[in-house]
Amino acid sequence: MGIGSYFASLNPFNLLTSLPAGIAQGLIWGIMAIGVYITFRILDIADLSVDGTFTTGAATTVMLIIAGCPAWLAVIVAFAAGMIAGTVTGLLHTMLGIPAILAGILTQFAMYSINLAIMGMKANQAISVDKYHLLISSRNIGMALLVVGILTIVIIFLLYRFFGTELGCAFRATGANNAMAKAQGINIKMMKIIGLALSNAIVAFSGGLMAQYQGYSDINMGRGAIVIGLAAVIIGEVLGEAIFKKHLSFWLKLAFVVIGGILYYIFIIIVLWLKLDSNFLKLLQAAVVAVFLAVPYIRSVQKSSFKKAGKNAMKGGGR
Amino acid sequence: MKKIIAVICASLMVLSLAACGGAAKSDTYTVGICQLVQHPALDAATQGFKDALTEKLGDKVKFDEQNAAGDSATCATIASTFVSSKVNLIMCNATPALQAATAATADIPILGTSVTDYATALGVDPAEWTGVTGTNVSGTSDLAPLDAQADIIKELFPDAKTVGILYCSAEPNSVYQADTITPFIEGNGYEVKVFTFADSNDVASVTKTAADECDVIYIPTDNTAASCTEAIANVLIPAKVPAVCGEEGLASGCGVATLSISYYDLGYATGEMAYEILANNKKAGEMEIEFAPNVTKEYNAANAEALGVTIPDDYVAIGE
Repeated sequence: MGIGSYFASLNPFNLLTSLPAGIAQGLIWGIMAIGVYITFRILDIADLSVDGTFTTGAATTVMLIIAGCPAWLAVIVAFAAGMIAGTVTGLLHTMLGIPAILAGILTQFAMYSINLAIMGMKANQAISVDKYHLLISSRNIGMALLVVGILTIVIIFLLYRFFGTELGCAFRATGANNAMAKAQGINIKMMKIIGLALSNAIVAFSGGLMAQYQGYSDINMGRGAIVIGLAAVIIGEVLGEAIFKKHLSFWLKLAFVVIGGILYYIFIIIVLWLKLDSNFLKLLQAAVVAVFLAVPYIRSVQKSSFKKAGKNAMKGGGR
Repeated sequence: MKKIIAVICASLMVLSLAACGGAAKSDTYTVGICQLVQHPALDAATQGFKDALTEKLGDKVKFDEQNAAGDSATCATIASTFVSSKVNLIMCNATPALQAATAATADIPILGTSVTDYATALGVDPAEWTGVTGTNVSGTSDLAPLDAQADIIKELFPDAKTVGILYCSAEPNSVYQADTITPFIEGNGYEVKVFTFADSNDVASVTKTAADECDVIYIPTDNTAASCTEAIANVLIPAKVPAVCGEEGLASGCGVATLSISYYDLGYATGEMAYEILANNKKAGEMEIEFAPNVTKEYNAANAEALGVTIPDDYVAIGE
């Protein structure tokens, strides 16, 4: 196949029509990424339990809906289930002194068995939109966009309010400066447990949405969730700072995390649309994340060059 | 920044004009193929499917072949791109691919392959399962008759007492096969023990336990087991414990005998179903789930010799 016929075989109209589905999936992962943001950025902990709790949310939601529970209640229970799992990571970390990254991995491991148990020892549970009343489904993309969009706004609003409270401020202080927060009389162990619980609750909630969207929960569906979450956080951050410079307020930061998730999925849609050999899909995904991870560093290196430093010194000297 | 956006907009517009010129003619068909993961058996099924359709329709059929690289979330993305680009038919290779496609569309005909149990995959109560879906879904099942597989164990190892079933707990098809074959094996007078591993990391240690406690091992068509046959063989062969496997790939790696279906033939049969739907307007929901056209008793010559197992004459050596 020549280059010409390759480009002729690409239909831009198809790309445009597949975008809404990509955006819907990106929004769901965006909610998940907000959970990752809470631990990774605010609390400064890389929490790997999310790979397990994403599936926990999906499993809980699917089993409850099959048992006759309304879908909205099922995702709330999923939220609670994620909260419990996050608390376990928190306790392993704070009470037993296990390093955060290992505590997360341990929880993730344990959740594999627990998730199987939740799903009745089956690795995969189907939930058809024809048989159950679901909040969202990839059958109806418009509806999915609307529902997930509203849920995202509600979550960002609630988190914005929460981080404005005394508890929220104490929580942010813990992430910003552990020792200082402790000196101020903040119970930093408690803050870490709350953070991990809240983060995993949001992740499980998004897992519950994902299961309904794709019509099933699968024991492996959370595999690599942390990578997508981190990608969304970092893409969102780089983009947000590029547009708003230093004036990025907290709710905008959260919004940009979701936008990061959407961009990540749009990128996947484009890769699929380009009909590149899908055996290289993972390599391309990793490459995109690496580029976005590198941007802030390269920028800071540029800023801290001797030339720049000299200029800055000149400016400072003139004052 | 604005300039870049303007350039992108302009090029998009030009491209979309070009696309209008090359719009698909009505007598050609586009078939979307969504395969869960790179895997020899699944690859063979996809190849068989494409060969069957190309043979019947020639240039009139175009394939949009996508592989989710093992990510179930990517299956959903692929399925929705197929739906929005309005392909004429979606072929789903493996269970999560089928589930993602059925979640994405109720209109476009969907054919599955390499799916073992459609009732479980589609969330239909097994008691209400009739062999047809009644929706937009049909396909082929990769299930080799399990009662006949149990009989192979009886035929080859009449003196054994305990049969261990070894599979990956993450695979719905394996759980189903293990549950279904257990009564057949027990009916033949064996004790059944189940051993599951979570992923390729604990295959070796779980296999070791199974080998210690059992005389014969049975491994269903399990993708994780299929990708680490060497690890299983390294435990079973020194322990002198033979394995009967659900498919040829497993048996050629770590087993002694198998009742084999050809995934290529299975894909080919799926392709023939696709032709009926595309060219003869058959409804997928009214087509019965089909099974592999041929089953053959096969054995692994090297492993049989290493373990001293006598193989009856009606078995074919793998690779011959």
